[in-house]
This record gives sequence, structure tokens and C-alpha cells, in this order.
Amino acid sequence: MTTSAVTSADIARETPRSDFGRILAQRERRFAAALLAPAFLALLATTTFPLLFLVYTSAFRMDLAMPFTNGFVGFENYQVLLSDERFWTSLLVSLVYTGSTVALQVIIGLALALLVMDMKRGQGWFRVIAILPVVLSPAVVGMIWRTFMLAPEFGIVDFLAINAGLGSKNWLGDPTLAMVSVIAIHTWQWTPFAFMVLLASLASLPEDIYEAARLDRASAWQRFRRITLPLLRPAIVMVIIMRTMVALTAFAAIFTVTGGGPGTATEILNLYAYRKSFTELSIGYGAALAVALLIVTIIISGILFALRRAK
Amino acid sequence: MTSFKPTRRTLIKTGTAAAALATFGPTLLRQAAAQDADLAPYKSAKIDWQQVSGETITVAVIPASYFENLITLAPQFKALTGIDVRFEKIPPAQIRQKSVIDLTSKTGTYATHAADPMYYALYAANKWVEPLDTYLKDKSLTDEAWFKLDDIIPAWRSANGIDGKLYGMPYDGEVTIQVYRKDLYDAKGLKPADTLEAYMSNAAALNTPNDRVWGAALRGVAGAGQNMYIYPSIFREFGGDWMKGGKLTVNGPEAEAALAWYVDIMKKYAPTAAANWNWPDIADAFSQGTVASYIDAHSSASVINNPEKSKVIGKVAYARWPKGPSGKRTTSIWNWGFPINSALPEKKRKATWLFIQWAASAETQARTAHRFGGPTKRSGVNRTSVWKDPDYIKLMNGFGENFVEATMGALQDDTDVDWRPRVPQWPAIGDTMATAIQSALSGQATIKAALDDAQRRIEPMMRG
Repeated sequence: MTTSAVTSADIARETPRSDFGRILAQRERRFAAALLAPAFLALLATTTFPLLFLVYTSAFRMDLAMPFTNGFVGFENYQVLLSDERFWTSLLVSLVYTGSTVALQVIIGLALALLVMDMKRGQGWFRVIAILPVVLSPAVVGMIWRTFMLAPEFGIVDFLAINAGLGSKNWLGDPTLAMVSVIAIHTWQWTPFAFMVLLASLASLPEDIYEAARLDRASAWQRFRRITLPLLRPAIVMVIIMRTMVALTAFAAIFTVTGGGPGTATEILNLYAYRKSFTELSIGYGAALAVALLIVTIIISGILFALRRAK
Repeated sequence: MTSFKPTRRTLIKTGTAAAALATFGPTLLRQAAAQDADLAPYKSAKIDWQQVSGETITVAVIPASYFENLITLAPQFKALTGIDVRFEKIPPAQIRQKSVIDLTSKTGTYATHAADPMYYALYAANKWVEPLDTYLKDKSLTDEAWFKLDDIIPAWRSANGIDGKLYGMPYDGEVTIQVYRKDLYDAKGLKPADTLEAYMSNAAALNTPNDRVWGAALRGVAGAGQNMYIYPSIFREFGGDWMKGGKLTVNGPEAEAALAWYVDIMKKYAPTAAANWNWPDIADAFSQGTVASYIDAHSSASVINNPEKSKVIGKVAYARWPKGPSGKRTTSIWNWGFPINSALPEKKRKATWLFIQWAASAETQARTAHRFGGPTKRSGVNRTSVWKDPDYIKLMNGFGENFVEATMGALQDDTDVDWRPRVPQWPAIGDTMATAIQSALSGQATIKAALDDAQRRIEPMMRG
């Protein structure tokens, strides 16, 4: 007992305090690293490695239908891609799809949030009902819309269109209408997300600013433009970023509703990459398409993040 | 709390035991039922069924009644051979991809799987599956006199062969025929069409959308087994040749005429929604009485005769696929066959072959069809002899007038094994063509432009 007491006192006297702290901190760091390592390795194995492997694969010709032609080709897949008309079409479809769904989600979501904010009663109910589409699987949503809603002569939407005097429309068989339909489906499913985020932000806005604005006789429109929108800006930009990243890589709903058709009218880049890889069994080229999609996604979200910072 | 614990444990125990009994009880009963007398028809084959006893193999099938019936009989196979079979059910949309991935990686997960006949060219080019003749000719593995390969429907066999070599054993198959509403046809004094022209005029005569009856319906949704299940037959009937001068050709005057016929009938006389329909949708619409006639797989007969859903039972009749301008009938033929995965060790390959031989044998075919205890009817048995069995004929004719004659006629005389281009690149070609057909149907491109574009896209696939 005495020995140890002397020893620790000696250490305390002879070792500078900062050194002691440094050793402790080092130990703590090691411990933290040990705790983190499994999770980090799992993350590397499940995200980083497949991603690197994807890039690696894109440098090969890997055609299951013609195995004798397989081999390293460097950037050839990307050269082919640049002159592939269907790649550009699908990229354009992706951008149109993403741009319009995100814009619609933000506008409708914000409108709904403003409406609900003014509701005196039943707000809670409205939130519960509104969130329902989000929890459905996109594949299920696709099936529901394809069979119950959009089928000409048999579906609910077509029934409404006929009654509204528009006549029966081939919702999924006409190139333009099919695009409109898949945009509507995605918007229908994901607007509640934008709505919930914006509603939460709206609720946190300070009431006294509005009070002051009212005293200054600012109109409702002025209050919305000068106060609500600027204060909501961070939330809106976040919604745009999150929804854009998801819309760019959308898959399940379009796959079940139109399969990219009619023809290639709703074939987003993701779907084209999937078809090349798994239907046409051209794995190398499919990987190049997936990498292209990755690059597009990174660029667009980079721009959006930059916009968020710029004030 | 403590006094509740034993009670709960007992409850769980009892529950588990009951659940186990409920799950395995029927299997145990069936296993007990698989007595020597039951196995006698198999034991008459002069081979040692027990030669690789103790092996376990995994078989991928699709969730369909004709495979369910086979799964039910698996305990008999176990009793006969001592081989354990584990079945994995994968929906048809995914089974091709899953099996291709398994074959590419050479892991041998699936000893055999329900295979698409159009994939054998790909399988054979990669040597992923075994040529079956080695197994058929091996006297220790096959008793040819007992198995009777020649009894298996020749059209399906040739569809599963490449350059005369058999790679997959047909288990269940189909052929396309005309399905029509006899009552509607009789009311207008119409006969089932003998030519594509007559089929069009029949459809015109019966097309009354205001009464919610459309003249015809063909598969419209894009996909290699969807609109590309029907169009290739029309293309061949218009005199089209996939391998014109040794070069894969999908455009040209015959193709344009064929696609024009297809687009014409779909636009004028089919429900608009049919542009996105596959066979179950068509069969559903027909069973609801909204479609007067369709051309599709004979196996959809079970859907339109489902007493719980169909409103047209007793009003259905069948005929062979109409002739085209070339004077030929070319039906679409199809079967689910079983190949042997080359990545397996020898003993497992033998076990797999014994399983395939058992499943494709006349005895098992009969036991899963008219002699099956359950309610489901199999309309795709693989053997000519079963199709001549009075009991089976009786069962099949329950589907409607002329069913067996139309099906057998189509299977024996109207097939053309090259009704689709059988090349390893088929998955890509089929998908490209399917997209082209749909873009012509939807008006996204003209018929000529759609086909020329498909040709442009297909050429580099063939060059390699």
C-alpha cells in the first residue's frame, strides 16, 4: 500500500501533467479505434469495396453472352457511352424526372404545410394520413398504380378522366403520358416527406417577427416572401438535396409501373444501367453506366451543397 | 412472475411441438406412404437408384402449381434414392438472373433450375451446363428403355438442344393457341380463324367497346418473354428469317409487315390497356368476358377456367394459331427444363441427373398430373404418352372445346424451333427487340424506324 502510494506520488511529481494527459488521451483514442474498427471494416466491405469494384469492372469488357470477347479495355466502355444515344436519352429522362418531381414535392409540400399550420383542429390526423404513402414500398406503389389507378378503361384515374370529359387515355402506353404518370406517382409518394420537414420548420419560426410585420401592415404575400421563405431556406434546400439524390437513383416504382417503357420513354439512367447489366448481361458496360450515374449524382449534389452555403 | 414462467415455457414447448407437427406431419405421413409398392414403377428401371445416397442438392423452381405438385412428391424421391432435395422458389422474373449469376460464379448453389429454353445457347457457349447425352447413354445412370426419351414432346426437346445436343430436360411446357369465346363467335356465325387475315376480321366483327367487349388481345408489355413471345411467331409467319444470309436480321419488309399487323390489331381491336399487359392480365380480362379472343400459351386455360374468378366457363373453345401469309403456322413453344450445373462435383451431378430423370419420367409426370391428389391441374406434361391417356384427356378437355386437339396439333405440326433467334446474345437481343416493338406500338417511333434502330443496336452485339 505504502509503496504504491509513494510510486504514484513520484509519478505525479516527476511526470509533467500534460504528458500524463497525453498518454491517457492516446489510450482513449486506441480504445475508441478498437471499438470503431469492426463497424468501419464492415462499412468498407459493404460500401467502399463494392464501389471500387464497380469502377474496376467498368474498365473491362464483361459480356456473359460472349465470354470469349472479355478482357481489359480501359476507357473504351466510357467512349462507347459518350456516343450511345440511349445513354443521353436516359440521362435526359433522369434529369427531367428528378427536376420535376423535386420541384413539385417542394411546392406542394410547402403549400400543404402552410395550409395545415393554419388548421385549428385535426392537424394530428392530417399528419398521420399524409405520411402514409411514404411508408409504402415503391414496388407496391408501382403495382397499385399500374393495376388499379392507371389502367385504361379499368382504372380509377381513367374513370375520373372519362367522367371529367377528357376521355379514356392510355396513361402508360403513351410516351408523354407515361412520363407524366411516373412523375405523378413519385410526387404522390414523396411529397409527404417534404411536407413533414417543412411543417416542422414552419412551426419553429418565431411568432414575434410576424407580429411586428403585421404591425407594419405587411400583406400576407409580403410576409410570406420576406419572412417565411428566407427563414425556411435551409429546410427547403435540405429537402431539395435529399429528394434529388433519391430521385436520381429512383428505380423500383418506375420498374414496376412502366419498366422504362413505352419504348424508352421513361427509361431513367438507373434503369438503363440495370437492363444493360442484368437483362443484356453486359456487365462491364452496365458498370460504366452506373459510374456515370454516380458522377452525375455527385456533381448535382455538389452544386446544391454549394448553393446551400452561399448566402 | 416466477409462477408464470413454467406455464409460459410449457406453452411455448407445446406450441412449438404443435407447429412442428403441423409443418412436418403431412410430410411424415407422405414419407410413410412412400412404400415399396409406391416405388415399384421406378424400381423396374435397371439402374441403382441408391448409388449416390446421402447427397443433398438444391433445385430452383418458380412458384407455380406444376412445380408445387412435384415438390409434394419429393419424399418419394428421397425414399427411392436417399438423395435430399432442397427446393428454392424464385419468381419467374428473377430466376434467370439468379441462375446466371450462380452459373457465372461457379458456386454450384443450384444443382439444377427451371431454365428458359432461350438461355441454353448462352449456357452452352460458356460450358455452364452439361450436355445430357453423356448421362442418357451411361447405362449405370439411365435405363433408356424405361426412361423413353423419344416419348418426351419433340418440340420441347429440340428447343432445349443446341446443335443436336440436349442440355435441358423438359419438365413442363406450353405452346400458343387461339382461345376464343364460342358463344360470341356462334352468335355472329364466325369460325375460329385459319389465317392471320381472318383473325383480324373476326376481331373487327366482335369489337364492341361500348358493350365492353374487345375483339382481341395479344401481349403488349415489353420484354423478352412478353411481347417478344408473340411477335417472333408473327414475324416467321410473314416469311421472316432471323438469320438472313448468316447475319442476324430483325428489320426488312417481312418484319415491317409483321409488326404492322401486330400494331394494327392491338390499336384497333384490343383494349388500350393491353399495351401494358402480359399473359395473366389478358387471361384475367378474358375470364371477365371483356375480350372475345386471344392468342397465347395454352397453359393460361387454367386461369380462364378458375371457378372462383372466371365468368366464361363453358363458353371457351380453342383452335390452332392462324396461318400467316407465308402459308405457315408458327406457334411459340416454351418449356421449363432442368439442366445440370457443370460446377458441381461428380457425385452431385449424378444425384442431379437422378432427380431430373425421376422428375421427367412418365410415372412422375402422371403422378403430378391426372393422378395427383390435389386440386391443381397440370396442362403442360412433357410426354406424348400421357397426352394420350384417356384420364388425362378427360381432365384437359374440361378446359373447353377442342383443347387437346388444338394443343397437340400445335405441338406436333406447328412448331418451328427457330421461331426466335437461338444465339447466346438472346437476352440482349430479346430486350432490344421488345423495346422496339413497344415504341412502335406506342407511336414513339414509326414501324420502320423502330426496326431499323433495333437492327443498328443488335449488330454490334453479334459482332462480339
